[in-house]
Amino acid sequence: MKIISTMLLCCGISTYSQAQKDLGKIFDSTAITHTKVLDTYKSTRIVQGQSTEMLRKHELDFRVAHRFGDAGGQFGGSKTFFGTDNSTDIRIAFEYGISDNLMVGIGRSKGSGALQQLYEGLIKYRPLQQTTDNYIPVSLALFGNMVISGMPSTPDVTTASHFANGSDRIMYVAQAIVSRKFADKLSLTLMPTYVHRNHVAYMDMNNMFALGAAGRLKLSHRMGLLAEYYYPFRTQESKDYYKANKGVTFYNPLGVGLEIETGGHVFSITFTNSTAILENQFIPETVSSWLQGQFRWGFNISRRFTLFGKKDWKK
Amino acid sequence: MKFFLVFVGALLLGVSIYAQDVYSCRSTHLSFFSSSPLEDIEAKTDKGVSAVNKKTRDIYFKVAINTFQFRKKLMQEHFNENYLESDKFPFAEFRGKINESPELNKDGTYPVTVTGALNIHGVSKMYTAKGTITTRGNVITVSSTFNVRVADHGIKIPSLVVQNVAEVVAVTVNAAYISINN
Repeated sequence: MKIISTMLLCCGISTYSQAQKDLGKIFDSTAITHTKVLDTYKSTRIVQGQSTEMLRKHELDFRVAHRFGDAGGQFGGSKTFFGTDNSTDIRIAFEYGISDNLMVGIGRSKGSGALQQLYEGLIKYRPLQQTTDNYIPVSLALFGNMVISGMPSTPDVTTASHFANGSDRIMYVAQAIVSRKFADKLSLTLMPTYVHRNHVAYMDMNNMFALGAAGRLKLSHRMGLLAEYYYPFRTQESKDYYKANKGVTFYNPLGVGLEIETGGHVFSITFTNSTAILENQFIPETVSSWLQGQFRWGFNISRRFTLFGKKDWKK
Repeated sequence: MKFFLVFVGALLLGVSIYAQDVYSCRSTHLSFFSSSPLEDIEAKTDKGVSAVNKKTRDIYFKVAINTFQFRKKLMQEHFNENYLESDKFPFAEFRGKINESPELNKDGTYPVTVTGALNIHGVSKMYTAKGTITTRGNVITVSSTFNVRVADHGIKIPSLVVQNVAEVVAVTVNAAYISINN
């Protein structure tokens, strides 16, 4: 009994003297919890589609995207300098962070597919952000857009670009994006997607579901390798009709890219078989194949500016 | 029962002796300033913690890197992700000693120097910094500004942004301590 008490007394004293030596011990209980995982991707886009990254509050993102012509095949090769003489799609957009987890944007795309001259409005909201302690294991973002075509209506009623009324010009995308950053180097993402086009060509589908998968392998602090794939659930009936009557085969969009961050800019160099930039088109309407040399290089440039907040900051 | 009393007694004795001399601050203000030809960058936090022992003159600071706030949030993300690697090195920590023996039980302002090891980005370096200690009633305040060369702590600045980020940043620390008895 006596031995135990003496031992405990010694224990108490030793804790005390240790604390004297190391003042840091006082704060041991004040650990940080639920730290948010940053930089799952460098940009709000992966290769073509959305990532779970957001603009921060008061940030303006000026984006330019470009897709060149086929690198190989009939329209590629040295005569078009591997497609760089042509452009299949170009997009210029302004996107803005209303809060750290809500962003909106407007954009204009050339459009590549049935409809052209596209005006887009988009919104993205991130209800969940992954934390380092796995309290929240994944990031979740919800994305939606509405696209209106400004092109003149064509007379052939069986085509998608015959607009009987104004609403025929409209397409929508709704998408959930689920990402997880594994360790530091690897990020993986799943993107269940729904594309609705108000008016489509005969035997095409107004409603189409697709499942996307994407990932990033970080090569350094400022560079990452990207890959992105979408599987559109087009009916066999529709595929067969297009193949038999129009000689058109649909392919699943596959893109690979390199993202490079240089301070305020993010450059993505991309290689894709799809010709279009917007989800509304590249998911349902990709008819070019990697294996036939019908892939192209392209780039996305993102330049982020911080607006407002200067005065608040000085306080 | 007896042993339990002795145990509690020992613990209380320990804490009370210890607490008498130790002052702590759980909202230590830290900021740093980088001035370069292209850009001035400032970041600040008030979530640092600090403690000072009046008797031994030991002084301690600790701050979570990811609590530093920048006006440009993209810059804040890069600071955490690319420069300080806050997922690997979440804290900056300083353990040092006040070189002089200011009369901290008496109200007054004392210029002092502090020498100790500062660990940033997993790399420790000895610093001696000038500062001021002020005693007013039972509150002690400390303030200091000193320079940190980022390369000394293994933080690389890529050539691309070398015009935007200074090689030496000025760090400012302000803390108001109260006795941990209170």
